[in-house]
Amino acid sequence: MLTAVLEQTLNGLMAGSIYVLVALGMVLIYGVMHVLNFAHGVLLMVGAYLCHFFFTRLTGSYLAALLLSIAALALIGIALERAVFRPLQGNLRSQVIASLGLILAIEHLVIALWGPNALQMRVPATEALVPIGALRFPLQHVLIIGVTLAIIAGLFAFLKYTKLGTAIRATSEDRQAAMVVGIPVERVDWMTFGLGTALAALGGALIGPLFLVFPQMGDAPMVKGLAGILLGGMGSVPGAVVGGFIIGITEALSTLVLPTDYRDSVAFAVMVLILLAWPRGLFGVRVRGED
Amino acid sequence: MAGRIAAAALAALLLAVPALAAQQPYVLHVLILTCLYAIPAVGLNLMLGYTGLVSLGHMAFAGVGAYTAAVLMVDAGWSFWLALAAGVLGSAAAGAAIGAVCLRFRTHFFMIVTLAFGLMLYSVMNNWDDVTRGAAGFPGIPRPAPIGEWSFGPLSHFYYLALGGALAAFAAQWLAVRSSFGRVLVALRQDERLAQAKGVNGMLYKSAVFALGSALAGLGGVLHVSFLRVAAPASFTLAESINAVLIVIVGGAGTLAGPALGALVFVGLPEYLRIAAEWRLVLFGVALVLITLFAPQGLAGLLARAWRAVRA
Repeated sequence: MLTAVLEQTLNGLMAGSIYVLVALGMVLIYGVMHVLNFAHGVLLMVGAYLCHFFFTRLTGSYLAALLLSIAALALIGIALERAVFRPLQGNLRSQVIASLGLILAIEHLVIALWGPNALQMRVPATEALVPIGALRFPLQHVLIIGVTLAIIAGLFAFLKYTKLGTAIRATSEDRQAAMVVGIPVERVDWMTFGLGTALAALGGALIGPLFLVFPQMGDAPMVKGLAGILLGGMGSVPGAVVGGFIIGITEALSTLVLPTDYRDSVAFAVMVLILLAWPRGLFGVRVRGED
Repeated sequence: MAGRIAAAALAALLLAVPALAAQQPYVLHVLILTCLYAIPAVGLNLMLGYTGLVSLGHMAFAGVGAYTAAVLMVDAGWSFWLALAAGVLGSAAAGAAIGAVCLRFRTHFFMIVTLAFGLMLYSVMNNWDDVTRGAAGFPGIPRPAPIGEWSFGPLSHFYYLALGGALAAFAAQWLAVRSSFGRVLVALRQDERLAQAKGVNGMLYKSAVFALGSALAGLGGVLHVSFLRVAAPASFTLAESINAVLIVIVGGAGTLAGPALGALVFVGLPEYLRIAAEWRLVLFGVALVLITLFAPQGLAGLLARAWRAVRA
């Protein structure tokens, strides 16, 4: 039993890491631009496909492919902010509907280019096993958790100590006041968007080798990431981290007692209940008086 | 006057299609699917277009109606028409109950909660094997029993059922929109606080439109599974709910003809242009983004503008 709990906890930490990467991107973009980008999941999927492409066609190095796909997705994110989300600034309904359009266009573009079938990405880290207690895990599990923790630490330092990070926090807190003190909020917008999509790409590139690379691979992380954000409190960066890990671990541990068929439903039901009973979440900061 | 003549001509044309296209079952097939997609879209148009409620789980309510009717027809032996009524009522009840929860939220939170409920309903359809037959789908759903000599087996006969359903949906939309009920919905979309300050019970009206929209989704769902003779969870996924939003927005949100135009373009255009299946949704996705950016009134708005330009 203890072994099973340990195994599922590690699985949950691993899945939670991916949710955290998605949630961080979405919550940063939400904070600055007040946009919930429902297309964030398909961008994770594109990150995985690009990583696969760079890995198999361009360089044999997983690390290089991963970095290239992050860079490519940052550029794609910046382009989307410019072309789609900035012109619709302030019109929430249109922004969400446009993000649904992006889901359709991007997902089916990938299907048209790569076909509907799942692709395999064999990297060395999925073959190597690491002993943890009585269990042996693929190195990739440990890699995902380690990279995510490092990214979280780096991101917090970036937000706290750098000029751009401070500008992002200021814009999230009060856009108009940020403009008044001379922060170039439009530059903050596109940089944050690029940072958010880069984090999604990292999530896709990390999870791709472990499971397969397929067109719907981003759907579950997007919804779970969203659940993590709500649990942590809409608009809170630490909340997104804690919420994402809690969702991942709870979900993995729930498979010990519940049939896996309804695993997703349990996560969604909990999400609705949290919103009803406890709308501020763990670290709730309601941005700009939104109810 | 010109509008009424045009409407009468359109109605006559729609009724005459089976005679005109007797040798072309393909055209009938496309038109039937257009009707079946337009009906839930009318419901979503009332919610999204007129009231401003962006539901991301609309087609799950179509699934509630479809499975209710399927179980009643196949397992309980009800007639099609009774089961249809029960399916529509079941969707309306689900809409009223779930709407009561969703409508406690606004903006992003409303969308997220409708998304979550849509996924939960889908999961029930997909996993409750004893009742819904699970992921493999619910086979053997009958067409309506013949009325006298008139059976609903042939495509040209089923066409009238689908057309009748679509006309009923559009009539319901027309009645709702031109009544004081519809004006309150528009007022709520434009400024909810102001409407409430004027004494409107916003929650009541929004619940009513959520139930009405879900009932129309249920109507479409029952007719759709009766046409296909099988109900499958895949017809009621998040992707299908996104397609419903697409149809409403491309056709023209908050316009009477929008859902019909949107469904016609969604079903008919790819067939007409013979676009490969995978490119069709790429095009529609791009079209959806472009329309939100440049033509918020959708095709109906563009056509109305063109019509005014011609007349001027």
